[in-house]
Amino acid sequence: MFFHIVLERNMQLHPRHFGPNLRDKLVAKLMKDVEGTCSGRHGFVVAITGVDSIGKGLIRDGTGFVTFPVKYQCVVFRPFKGEILEAVVTMVNKMGFFAEAGPVQIFVSNHLIPDDMEFQSGDMPNYTTSDGSVKIQKDSEVRLKIIGTRVDATEIFCIGTIKDDFLGVINDPGASA
Amino acid sequence: MPRRRDEDDLDPEEEEEEEDEELDDEDDGGYGKKRRRSDFIDDAAVEDDDDEDEEDEDEDFEDHRGGGRKRRKAGAEFFDDIAAVDNDEEEEEEAEEDDFIVDGGADLPDDEDVRRMHHRPLPTEDDQEEDYEALERSIQARYARSSHTEYDEEATDVEQQALLPSVKDPKLWMVKCAIGHEREAAVCLMQKYIDKGSELQIRSAIALDHLKNYIYVEADKEAHVKEACKGLRNIYSQKVMLVPIKEMTDVLSVESKAVDLSRDTWVRMKIGTYKGDLAKVVDVDNVRQRVTVKLIPRIDLQAIANKLDGREVVKKKAFVPPPRFMNIEEAREMHIRVERRRDQVTGDYFENIDGMMFKDGFLYKTVSMKSISSQNIQPTFDELEKFRKPGEDGDGDTSSLSSLFANRKKGHFMKGDQVIVVKGDLKNLMGWVEKVEEENVHIRPNTKEPSMKGLPKTLAVHERELCKYFNAGDHVKVVSGAQEGATGMVVKVEGHVLYIVSDTTKEDIRVFADNVVESSEVTAGVTKIGDYELHDLVQLDNLSFGVIIRVESEAFQVLKGIPERPEVVLVKLREIKSKIEKKAFTHDRSKHPVSVKDVVKIVEGPCKGKQGPVEHICRGILFIYDRHHLEHAGYICAKAQSCVVVGGSRGSGDRNGDHLSRFPGLRASPNVAQPPRRPPRGPPIDFGGRHRGGRGHDSLVGSTIKIRLGPFKGYRGRVVDAKGGSVRIELESQMKVVTVKRDQISDAVAVATPFRESSRYGMGSETPMHPSRTPLHPYMTPMRDPGATPIHDGMRTPMRDRAWNPYAPMSPARDNWEDGNPASWGTSPQYQPGSPPRRPYEAPTPGSGWTNTPGGNYSEAGTPRESSPAYASAPSPYLPSTPGGQPMTPSSASYLPGTPGGQPMTPGSGGLDIMSPAIGGEGEGLWFLPDVLVNVRKLGEDAAIAVVHEVLPDGSCKVALGSTGNGEIITALPNEMEMVVPRKSDKIKIMSGAQRGATGKLIGIDGTDGIVKVDDTLDVKILDMVNLAKLARA
Repeated sequence: MFFHIVLERNMQLHPRHFGPNLRDKLVAKLMKDVEGTCSGRHGFVVAITGVDSIGKGLIRDGTGFVTFPVKYQCVVFRPFKGEILEAVVTMVNKMGFFAEAGPVQIFVSNHLIPDDMEFQSGDMPNYTTSDGSVKIQKDSEVRLKIIGTRVDATEIFCIGTIKDDFLGVINDPGASA
Repeated sequence: MPRRRDEDDLDPEEEEEEEDEELDDEDDGGYGKKRRRSDFIDDAAVEDDDDEDEEDEDEDFEDHRGGGRKRRKAGAEFFDDIAAVDNDEEEEEEAEEDDFIVDGGADLPDDEDVRRMHHRPLPTEDDQEEDYEALERSIQARYARSSHTEYDEEATDVEQQALLPSVKDPKLWMVKCAIGHEREAAVCLMQKYIDKGSELQIRSAIALDHLKNYIYVEADKEAHVKEACKGLRNIYSQKVMLVPIKEMTDVLSVESKAVDLSRDTWVRMKIGTYKGDLAKVVDVDNVRQRVTVKLIPRIDLQAIANKLDGREVVKKKAFVPPPRFMNIEEAREMHIRVERRRDQVTGDYFENIDGMMFKDGFLYKTVSMKSISSQNIQPTFDELEKFRKPGEDGDGDTSSLSSLFANRKKGHFMKGDQVIVVKGDLKNLMGWVEKVEEENVHIRPNTKEPSMKGLPKTLAVHERELCKYFNAGDHVKVVSGAQEGATGMVVKVEGHVLYIVSDTTKEDIRVFADNVVESSEVTAGVTKIGDYELHDLVQLDNLSFGVIIRVESEAFQVLKGIPERPEVVLVKLREIKSKIEKKAFTHDRSKHPVSVKDVVKIVEGPCKGKQGPVEHICRGILFIYDRHHLEHAGYICAKAQSCVVVGGSRGSGDRNGDHLSRFPGLRASPNVAQPPRRPPRGPPIDFGGRHRGGRGHDSLVGSTIKIRLGPFKGYRGRVVDAKGGSVRIELESQMKVVTVKRDQISDAVAVATPFRESSRYGMGSETPMHPSRTPLHPYMTPMRDPGATPIHDGMRTPMRDRAWNPYAPMSPARDNWEDGNPASWGTSPQYQPGSPPRRPYEAPTPGSGWTNTPGGNYSEAGTPRESSPAYASAPSPYLPSTPGGQPMTPSSASYLPGTPGGQPMTPGSGGLDIMSPAIGGEGEGLWFLPDVLVNVRKLGEDAAIAVVHEVLPDGSCKVALGSTGNGEIITALPNEMEMVVPRKSDKIKIMSGAQRGATGKLIGIDGTDGIVKVDDTLDVKILDMVNLAKLARA
């Protein structure tokens, strides 16, 4: 799920950046530092939409760096248990398949793939129904439900299922090709 | 042992009675040596008999009492007379005896017992003569007082304390005896006592059922014990051990652990064919101490068929048939008589084959309780799976759980755990643990479910009736079982079995819900057993090797180094021979060196297209880690030959910087610039820190030194580390690293004594090949000495380690040159350009690396030899290095052919001058000069003498074939040419230095130096031979 929230961060800026463009530099640095990161609480920071306020800088003893408390608005993406997501399959193997929804990697175990879909190994490993009408392979788009998340320092890993109503392949470039 | 008769008023008969009981027992039960006290009842003794049989003849279903009886007879005779004497008292006695055990409960009676025995008077001859009636009376008197009164009342703690043995009491001694004859030994002692009476100064002898090989003897002194044991065949009294007073009570404590065997518990067989096999209890006969268990048969039908047909049966103990369900049809086909019988008790039908009962393919076997172990049974999944025959539903699960529960650790349930009730009225009720009190767990039921509305807030449920419960998506950690330590996310819940996707391997793990806890931790589980860790490269027993890809609780999964197909083996710790830690390197498909951490791409074979960093190299096999490869923990095994290095080599740069070879020109260049600044004759130490401004000491690292003083005096070795005033030296002769004071080493060794380590690379004695092989060295060196490279260790002077390392392997050559006539080496066939041995080395290497530096260092290759392609290709590493080493020992000059940089030695004038060409050479880009005689060796052709006509800007030359230069004119690449080494009185051209281009005459050769008379100035100069090239005759 996406959220637009306000976060705060203490930015350290090198003295060489002090000057008329200090604010720009600070924002640029903030974007560089923050965008794409992940925290367990908020999820992935997708984009910074604005800077609310920049507090007074505090010079650090010894280094000359200055710390600014910065409040910024950002869009975060955090997957939740039970959330339905659409994702692109990145890898298929006999244990299941991996899919990505933006920065989040989701693993769908073969236990969580409908029983009528079977793994077909080969050049393009895939899960196919017995009648062959539905096929999950690399680059397929699937709708899945997240049943568990694990948050590391740098990534959020999810376990998903497609063993439920209205879940499964929503668009299969492989099949249409 | 002082007799305490006087102070003891107990009836003397007691001892005798005790004996009698024992003896009687023997009589009844035969060799009841393993019997407990409680077995002293007659019928129990009979049971015992069965047990014995079972143990002895486990495979045999029928009781063979015969054997037992026979043996019993032997024992019985022995006691007969006494048993007869006391028979009439038996009944009463037993009852009493029995009583007191039951009443007494656990420890107390035994203490009492011990105590009582302490005060027991010792019977004498006349005692035995005593009237039976008197005996009886006295016994009654005694029991009326002691046992009945004392044991019925509750003894307070203090009283109990008072009963504990003290220093004043006789001591307990542990004596070794023949294994399996413990009881016999004890009885023998008793008999001896009876026979000898007062002579024997021991108080009691005890044989414990659970203690094999030892009996206890109570006595005041060790000598008494020894005396008593003298002459007894079963007792080895050489070593008599004193039981500490504290432990004395433990000796006789009754094992109160009642084995709780109930139906459907899992047990393991302790003996026989099925030893270690999992079995399920189907029936328990507590009276007869027997259980009926269900097993997967290990039966060799063929053997049975043979047996039934009366053919000879080969009793091969070694062969244990694999467990397999019995197929009755199959048996019938083999003409084995199968009877179908109905069991009287259960009413079930069993197939009966050769005395064995089968049902549904399982073997039903009745065994003694002693032959199974029921404690800590952790059935593995495989085993349970096997037991679960089709048709058996979830019930199997709960039953298997019941025994699993028995093995729970303390604190199994914690507050907040989600649990489900698995037994009883509340079965399937879910809830959360609120409080744990001993065995009772208070749970808060899940009141969200409407049906559970009426339930109270918390319920107390017995621990055994609960099982942990998890939902799909929970992140858990496995806390026991084979997968202990692994973490992952639950993807599926199947009864009490969870399917977990491991965090690290992304593989499915199946575990019992009971064995996991909810956790947010992320680990791979156990990653180390013994010395071996996950992802280590290990040598397996049978000359194969592989990478540990998974660590299980007791074994490793190893991906073997077989490139054709991934082969994973499960190995135990002891099956691993060693860890392979040596830094190896190899060449990829296009002959580029590959070292650990280089990213390679697999271009052929089953894993074609995969790419990843090399984690291990062994015997030309690469283990590549591809994080997108999910099998085998991401490891792929491939032949180095089927891979190509992608991008730059990381290994060469960042890690150790050990691969000078990789970019010879690059690395060398700073060093090339060094020489002129260097005082020509300074000791090597002086150069320390030149390179990167580091400390001089470290310049030692990597060099070969000799230890002058101390315990390792005279040892030679390579410096692996230099810190402060001490250096660590890897001894050549011993596989160890020692630390020596810095001032105890002399570092001239490499020059003074040839460093022979090179032989490892097959170079030692192959002098003739030298020149052309040299380019290989740079590759070798880093491997040999990863830590010694300048890149890594900026402190060190580059010339130093260059001096030592690259040369080290070469040094053997020196001997050769020293021995031989130096003057003649130009003509010696070994060095003849184009001599066959060189070719092989040249051929495979053209593309690898030295083309980077064509302009590099050719100019110094003044001597024809130097111009050899081999040198041309990798001159740089050598060049700067030599000066470091040489100034120390002039004699080393002899190896100059390989070391262009050796000039600084040149006595007299132009040390500096002569060196400079080395530097100049770099920039000039020209190294061959017109009119120089060269050997041209094009690939696949024989060498031919040619004369350089013109040097092209790219380094290649137009040469005219023929020694006079009148043949065909061809273009040759620098690495296809090799200068012809001039001989004495040849006309030469100086190839490097300030006088580059000047011509002269070689008027003498001194080792590696040539004495040159320069044409222009008529000066006589001593120049390095490598800088001299023979001129074509004009």
